[in-house]
Amino acid sequence: MSTLCPPPSPAVAKTEIALSGESPLLAATFAYWDNILGPRVRHIWAPKTDQVLLSDGEITFLANHTLNGEILRNAESGAIDVKFFVLSEKGVIIVSLIFDGNWNGDRSTYGLSIILPQTELSFYLPLHRLCVDRLTHIIRKGRIWMHKERQEHVQKIVLEGTERMEDQGQSIIPMLTGEVIPVMELLSSMKSHSVPEEIDIADTILNDDDIGDSCHEGFLLNAISSHLQTCGCSVVVGSSAEKVNKIVRTLCLFLTPPERKCSRLCEPESTFKYESGLFVQGLLKDSTGSFVLPFRQVMYAPYPTTHIDVDVNTVKQMPPCHEHIYNQRRYMRSELSAFWRATSEEDMAQDTIIYTDESFTPDLNVFQDVLHRDTLVKAFLDQIFHLKPGLSLRSTFLAQFLLVLHRKALTLIKYIEDDTQKGKKLFKSLRNLKIDLDLTAEGDLNIIMALAEKIKPGLHSFIFGRPFYTSVQERDVLMTF
Amino acid sequence: MISAPDVVAFTKEDEYEEEPYNEPALPEEYSVPLFPFASQGANPWSKLSGAKFSRDFILISEFSEQVGPQPLLTIPNDTKVFGTFDLNYFSLRIMSVDYQASFVGHPPGSAYPKLNFVEDSKVVLGDSKEGAFAYVHHLTLYDLEARGFVRPFCMAYISADQHKIMQQFQELSAEFSKASECLKTGNRKSFAGELEKKLKDLDYTRTVLHTETEIQKKANDKGFYSSQAIEKANELASVEKSIIEHQDLLKQIRSYPHRKLKGSDLSSGEMEHTQDQPDQAATTSNPDECADTDLYTCRPAYTPKLIKAKSAKCFDKKLKTLEELCDTEYFTQTLAQLRHIEHTFRGDLCYLLTSQIDKALLKQQHITNFLFEDFVEVDERVVEKQASTPPPSSQDRPPSRSLGECPIPQVLISVGSYKSSVESVLIKMEQELGEEEYREVEGTGLSSFDPQENLDYLDMDMKGSVSSGESIEVLGTEKPTCVLATSDSQASLTVSLSPQVVRSKAVSHRTVSEDSIEVLSTCPSEALIPEDFKASYPSAINEEESYADDSEGAIHFQVGVSLPELGEAEEGSLENATSQTDSCCIGKESDSLQGPLSTPVPTLSDKNGVVSTPPQRYRQTDQGFHVDFTVENASPSSRDNSSEGCPAYELDPSHLLASRDVSKTSLDNYSDTTSYVSSVASSSWDRTPSCAHPAGPSSERHKKRAGQNALKFIRQYPFAHPAIYSLLSGRTLVVLGEDEAIVRKLVTALSIFIPNYSRYAKPVKHWVSSPLHIMDFQKWKLIGLQRLASPASAGTLHALSRYSRYASVLDLDNKTLRCPLYRGTLVPRLADHRTQIKRGSTYYLHVQSMLAQLCSKAFLYTFCHHLHLPAHDKDTQELLASRQASFLKLNLGLVNEDVKVVQYLAELLKLHYMQESPGTSHPMLRFDYVPSFLYKI
Repeated sequence: MSTLCPPPSPAVAKTEIALSGESPLLAATFAYWDNILGPRVRHIWAPKTDQVLLSDGEITFLANHTLNGEILRNAESGAIDVKFFVLSEKGVIIVSLIFDGNWNGDRSTYGLSIILPQTELSFYLPLHRLCVDRLTHIIRKGRIWMHKERQEHVQKIVLEGTERMEDQGQSIIPMLTGEVIPVMELLSSMKSHSVPEEIDIADTILNDDDIGDSCHEGFLLNAISSHLQTCGCSVVVGSSAEKVNKIVRTLCLFLTPPERKCSRLCEPESTFKYESGLFVQGLLKDSTGSFVLPFRQVMYAPYPTTHIDVDVNTVKQMPPCHEHIYNQRRYMRSELSAFWRATSEEDMAQDTIIYTDESFTPDLNVFQDVLHRDTLVKAFLDQIFHLKPGLSLRSTFLAQFLLVLHRKALTLIKYIEDDTQKGKKLFKSLRNLKIDLDLTAEGDLNIIMALAEKIKPGLHSFIFGRPFYTSVQERDVLMTF
Repeated sequence: MISAPDVVAFTKEDEYEEEPYNEPALPEEYSVPLFPFASQGANPWSKLSGAKFSRDFILISEFSEQVGPQPLLTIPNDTKVFGTFDLNYFSLRIMSVDYQASFVGHPPGSAYPKLNFVEDSKVVLGDSKEGAFAYVHHLTLYDLEARGFVRPFCMAYISADQHKIMQQFQELSAEFSKASECLKTGNRKSFAGELEKKLKDLDYTRTVLHTETEIQKKANDKGFYSSQAIEKANELASVEKSIIEHQDLLKQIRSYPHRKLKGSDLSSGEMEHTQDQPDQAATTSNPDECADTDLYTCRPAYTPKLIKAKSAKCFDKKLKTLEELCDTEYFTQTLAQLRHIEHTFRGDLCYLLTSQIDKALLKQQHITNFLFEDFVEVDERVVEKQASTPPPSSQDRPPSRSLGECPIPQVLISVGSYKSSVESVLIKMEQELGEEEYREVEGTGLSSFDPQENLDYLDMDMKGSVSSGESIEVLGTEKPTCVLATSDSQASLTVSLSPQVVRSKAVSHRTVSEDSIEVLSTCPSEALIPEDFKASYPSAINEEESYADDSEGAIHFQVGVSLPELGEAEEGSLENATSQTDSCCIGKESDSLQGPLSTPVPTLSDKNGVVSTPPQRYRQTDQGFHVDFTVENASPSSRDNSSEGCPAYELDPSHLLASRDVSKTSLDNYSDTTSYVSSVASSSWDRTPSCAHPAGPSSERHKKRAGQNALKFIRQYPFAHPAIYSLLSGRTLVVLGEDEAIVRKLVTALSIFIPNYSRYAKPVKHWVSSPLHIMDFQKWKLIGLQRLASPASAGTLHALSRYSRYASVLDLDNKTLRCPLYRGTLVPRLADHRTQIKRGSTYYLHVQSMLAQLCSKAFLYTFCHHLHLPAHDKDTQELLASRQASFLKLNLGLVNEDVKVVQYLAELLKLHYMQESPGTSHPMLRFDYVPSFLYKI
């Protein structure tokens, strides 16, 4: 890290966070553009460690510069832009979320940043989307908070005839803290428990001598099929860490290396909780054998999730992407509008906000049985166990299977692209697509669509149209064309 | 247990429809859009927020000390690409985030300015209003005339897709770093040159000033210095100081930390320069010693001039251009690299991602990816290496895996006699390989032979069929490249070779043969077919029952062939020998030529060729004998051609005939057997299957065209299925027509269905105008044949009719197809004439995915142990065969002729696995006695 830094801004507030494990995060900062003084840092969050890698002055220097050039900011209304820096001279990477907001009576530009050592670049990149999504949402809420603070502040000035600088907007910091700490904890847990990029097939169920050796054949089929149908996003719960992790590794075989790095194993004695945005995560039940899956966070995951319980061999899945995204957006909007209408701090506490929104009723039956059977995974599982374990034969066969899936997904995208003239026309011929691409089994179509969604976001929404909640009926209608 | 305590109270049935959604009073800027893709025109293809540029481009900008941030150039340099996008504004934006503290100054404690070799910084940022997002690579170049000696630049990859930038961050970063290193290397060279010039100027100025001062001193007799003299003295001191400073700068630039460069992946040219630097820096530390080095070299032609000690820093001077700063050579290289980046990353992200995933997955499938994959894409580096190296001479040629570490059982098995089931011609095989010769072979071939492995193989061999060597003589005839690996399902010609058989076949003789061609296609009578042979590939040599009355179109087999026909040059030695000696001397050759043919070949063991080792390639330690032999016999021209990777005959159809002439010559000059060998040579070199993927064909355009034409074919021809089945099952398809363009087009289209022999060879001959030779069927599985109106074409058609029993013929002019019946389900899924696929590129993708699926089935069948190895001692071959049939039907879901497709692919896999030698192909000749049908539109 550089030692030559200008003096820091005076008296920057700092929150030190005690983490149980190693923290890859050096610091998080909140800065704003002062119309007189330029970029200023308002708050620093840093893990509590013995070894200080970055001094406060250095952090401030870096944070100030995240707003460099933002005087020229030219963004859409309400946009939260992401800037990403790799500064070899300083040996750090910085992720900054830049947004406009009303605070202290002025409209200004703000930046919430996290700083990591450059050595963590390959560790961080697979987690980038997760971090950005989570920080973006807290900024959305924080921005409303700031706006309301300002209104209250103006009212207070009018009523009391005084102005206390220290009151201005301070309350946004606890709100940001409420998300910065979990992000730090998540990164810390990923450092120690993320799934490796390369998985040894010997550590998975696919190394069994025969299908059904480790778990019931139907369960394995359901688990993998549903996992693929939900874009490779799954939560594996159980009482035995070993059993859970074996399933986690098995499911991760069907992911790309970066997606594996965005997946987490469970640890016997750990207190890991569900984290929105991970692809596969293993979680342990508590001593009573129960497990709590937070509805809000599951809804905020970028893809629908498969829930796999290895104790009772059940597999449940969320609705397909377009329904999930629609539900997610409705939930987010309700949460934000409830936040907007809240009149006190108690009302604005996280996770209770939707109680106040009478217009929104979430459907809690988000996890349902796997309805659609596929032939792709079934044939794969029927066949792979014919190959002798312990050699590289099964790995090769798996790679072939994944290649087929990816090629089918690309063909599907191209098919729809041609048929709709790159989205200019409506897509009407799902039946033809299924026949032409040999995807007549509903489960097969779901798997390929899910894979296609990951490389072509918005495909589900485009095909199945706006009445998201009737996707099944919609597809039936499309079938008749 | 799933629970959601925070919302349990709200659990109720779906009421979306009954409950209209009320828009909250929340301002939209604080909310999120309900439909995240609505802003993009509600479809996944529309550009984000309507960017003003048409596609991705690269922008190079500079923070000019005179005018501030300014755009310098774009790649591609086409105004249509960036359209109305404001480059000036965007340059300002991207240059304002530079973090580099690359100033040159006088740090505390240092007397001289210090160059700060800053690392590049990389930033991803965007302008959401303009819909422009960029990866920005900041770098600093040195300029003696610039303020602080530095010129900040940046290179930006600008795209409308923010996700693309972040998802490809590491790749972009690596590629731009190469471009940056190239620029900086050139710049250091240029900067050092500038410094040297400046030092010369200063030195010259010092001399002049010194002389003037001396003159003034001498002229001064008043005892005090005039103001002019003082001024001169000050100027001199200033020059002295400047010299020291510049010497120090030169020293600094020469002592650039080269470790930084070594890690970077520069092009070879750059590396040559850069790796020289440390030495140069050491030898030329004194600027006066103008060593004849490459980088930082002194310009001998430079004439020093008188300068002012301090250069004027004014704003009216002209700053150097980027090209001047970096040396033209480096600048050109950088532009080439940037063009490469633009070309690599442009386009839709989904294709980029899929191609990266594809590559990664294909790397894990080195056993199977040769079959249908575009190898150029799989591993470009290997191909580049191949192309850059001279043609493999016989000695240099990558050794066949057969000899190196492949174990060869020690048991020699005599080959018996066989009787043709068709003509009842006794084919006697004799083994002539003496023990001495064998030892020699062994000594050469088994230098690194692992005894344990040998035992394993032997064991496997014995477990399988010890009699599998029978009936192979024909194969020796038809497989002139000699290194045919064990291939149980090559039926009559490549049936289940155990190593010892392969060894012996080379020198065995066929004693009786009246018609060599028929002999080639002869299958042993049912009674004489060894058990393992029958089981190994039941379909290959079966004289099946007709599905329909033969008279309706099946080709009738002509047993007797007249001598004049046999005398055709192409069939030369083979047939002459047969007719003259009344015995087949195909395998007979002089002692000196026995080596190549006696090349031992490893086998998988029994006829089924079970591989009990994980799929890893053998490393070869020795060359196949055939290699030497090839050098001796192959025509020089053909070897030259092969050096190009793509033989000239492929470009010039007449070469096919020419190469036959070579054979003819050898026929005249040597004995029959020698001429046979000669034809072997020509077959392995002259007429190597066309390059699978020369630069052109692997392009997207090629795929698109091939796909489009294939789509047309399956829509136009109702008999497309049996034609494609022929291709997939290894039966040669001859496309006959008058118009070369039409034939070529169809051959190209159908070539997408052809399984390759190896990574480098696609068995496709686009156009042949001379009569077909038996060897053509060995090498080509898809042939475009010219139909001439002239009488000369009679020979062509005659030759074709002779072989038509063993090949499928698609007559484009008459719109007919003669080939076996196909009743499977696989091809209809691959080529459905009712498909709604609209574009050729989409169809190509569909075919690729279906073929990958097929490949996977073949892999499973090939490497499934229990199918090929008896589980118990009691297991008979029949049991194994029925197990295989059951597996193919029940586990792989194959029906009727689909089975043959998978069996053929499995054969290729085994052959490739056992024998692969990069750059060569190992075609095999196999004929099926399957009735053909005539299809008409």
